[in-house]
Amino acid sequence: MVDVAVIGAGQTKFGNHALGLKGMWAESTENAFASIDGDFDPSMVDEAFIGSIAFGGGQIGNTAALLTEHTGMDNIPVRRVENACASSGFAFRDAWMAIKSGQADIVVAGGIEKMNDLTPERKRFWLGVSGDTEWERLAGLTFPGTYALMARRHFHEYGSVHDDLVNISVKNHMHGLDNEFAHIRKDVSFEKAQSGFMVADPLTLYDCCPTSDGASTVILAADHVAKKLTDDPVWVLGSGAGSDHLALHDRPSITQLIATQRAAMSAYDQAGISAKDIDLAEVHDCFTIAELMATEDLGFANRGEGGLFAREGRGRRNEGQVAINPSGGLKSKGHPLGATGTGQIVEVFKQLRGEVESSRQVRDATTALTHNVGGSGATCSVHVFGRDLK
Amino acid sequence: MSSNQCIDWQGNLACIQQSGLVIKSRHSIRGKHVFGPDSDYTTLAISGLELLSEETEISNIKFEEPIDLFVMQACGYSHDEEAVWEIVCDLDSASISISKSEIVSWEVSGNEMDEELFTQMNDAWEEEMTAVSQGAFVSEQSYRSGGPSRMNFNSQSLGEIRIWPPREMIGDQRPSDAAPMKKSGKIESWTKLSAGGAPSEFSLRAPILGGISTVFVRLDEGPCGVFLIADDEDGKPVIGNSVTFAVRRIYAQDGLIRYGLKALLS
Repeated sequence: MVDVAVIGAGQTKFGNHALGLKGMWAESTENAFASIDGDFDPSMVDEAFIGSIAFGGGQIGNTAALLTEHTGMDNIPVRRVENACASSGFAFRDAWMAIKSGQADIVVAGGIEKMNDLTPERKRFWLGVSGDTEWERLAGLTFPGTYALMARRHFHEYGSVHDDLVNISVKNHMHGLDNEFAHIRKDVSFEKAQSGFMVADPLTLYDCCPTSDGASTVILAADHVAKKLTDDPVWVLGSGAGSDHLALHDRPSITQLIATQRAAMSAYDQAGISAKDIDLAEVHDCFTIAELMATEDLGFANRGEGGLFAREGRGRRNEGQVAINPSGGLKSKGHPLGATGTGQIVEVFKQLRGEVESSRQVRDATTALTHNVGGSGATCSVHVFGRDLK
Repeated sequence: MSSNQCIDWQGNLACIQQSGLVIKSRHSIRGKHVFGPDSDYTTLAISGLELLSEETEISNIKFEEPIDLFVMQACGYSHDEEAVWEIVCDLDSASISISKSEIVSWEVSGNEMDEELFTQMNDAWEEEMTAVSQGAFVSEQSYRSGGPSRMNFNSQSLGEIRIWPPREMIGDQRPSDAAPMKKSGKIESWTKLSAGGAPSEFSLRAPILGGISTVFVRLDEGPCGVFLIADDEDGKPVIGNSVTFAVRRIYAQDGLIRYGLKALLS
């Protein structure tokens, strides 16, 4: 079966943008096309998948057609992919499958979200649209509350503490400090992160990612095409995905995400590797507790030891066992919902090619992972990438 | 329960008498009973009926507005003009009587409530009634179809497994209707959302209340659920502690007050 490579990747800065949807998509796609080493014409693209929640409802229908017509990808099959915050992780998986199936040779996967052009009231209505509306939202829960319930239960079951989450926050802000695409480039001390404003007890402001505008674009190609367009492809070694009950109350446990475990197992299996082979991982830290649980669910830490993993600094870039969120993660880099998944892949693409700022470069990285979660864990995609085909 | 026994019941003051029951809000302003932040005549009526039901079976009852007919039906009480039991609201006070013959009365003092809080909450509820969703919301149809589960813990069963909230599964996983579950459980986790972190449906009242608290509860009959804590409850939730439940107002939208079970800390 055909192998699939990432041959180009680009994004906008994540944060508050003056640009609208069309402008952001044009910028990220132009950056992605420019990153391809060989001559590339947008008309070479066979199909496009764009992840977005369509936050605010501004362009909720036919989003993909509106965006691609501005970037030279005329008359090709396009569609919006929606799986909450995992939308573009799944858009990437769809693109990978399109090539794997033999139906396409070059496919664009991307994501986009415009979150900061809404009135505060309208924004509050849209935050939390991806939870169980009827039973969780009616009980006063949005995602800070949902993840706060997970955090307190994890503390209770495993003895993790809020300072473990503080360590994650401090690490990710430190990682994102030199990232030119990051939303919040700020060195945050342990003491400051400890004393943040309470958002959803026990989670403070420093445990929560920001709401960001942004777009990201990734170009995938079949092996026979990739080799013509670049000497430096990043290979997709495994693509896994999973799902779970939407509502927390239907899950057997609220201290682990089954969707992540399923997705990781599948991706590792395809790649023929395990967690210990990963050099860097972009994980979905919408809240610090999400990163703590992800380190367990992805196999970097034993069950219940995610707090210890954070306490011992085992996710620090070039210091720990594996660099967790060298981009700064959602916490620092930002979280433009639909753009986050392919935004993680942009980081991995550049890291594996040695193209990020030297201060951020993970040394000798050959194998990387991305982990993109929808909502409180109802959907998840995990991808494994390598410098070489195994 | 013996006659003329007066108790704290689901955050209210209740007195069973020979001919029926009087139930009042525990809050008062200058000696007059007033409703708490998420209570009204409907919640008081459900609470009183649940207390009476511990001694006698009541299914048909006579009542009028402002008691919400849908909520009464969702909780298993049918309106019947010929019923022997009748609910009478004291519209000058947050008090109702439920009796078979004559209106019973009972004098009891409430806890003095902050008048500014009372006014702010009433204004917020009034404004909330005109709120229109701009994003995610629970439609009136969804709210009504889930009413018996939301307000009375109506459940399903599949073999030995109790299911709540109800599912619409297929094939041999299709559950059958089961009796309402007991309104009790244990806290497995909890959080308090700041006013800024609360969903927009609560954005008017959350700042007045200083945030809203939610508990993740394992019900005594097995299923789990998330529930708001009743707005006038004091105290901090503790994992492992027991809770009971009472029908309270949740929020208003599109001109309709939504009711549901909220947790009462034991």
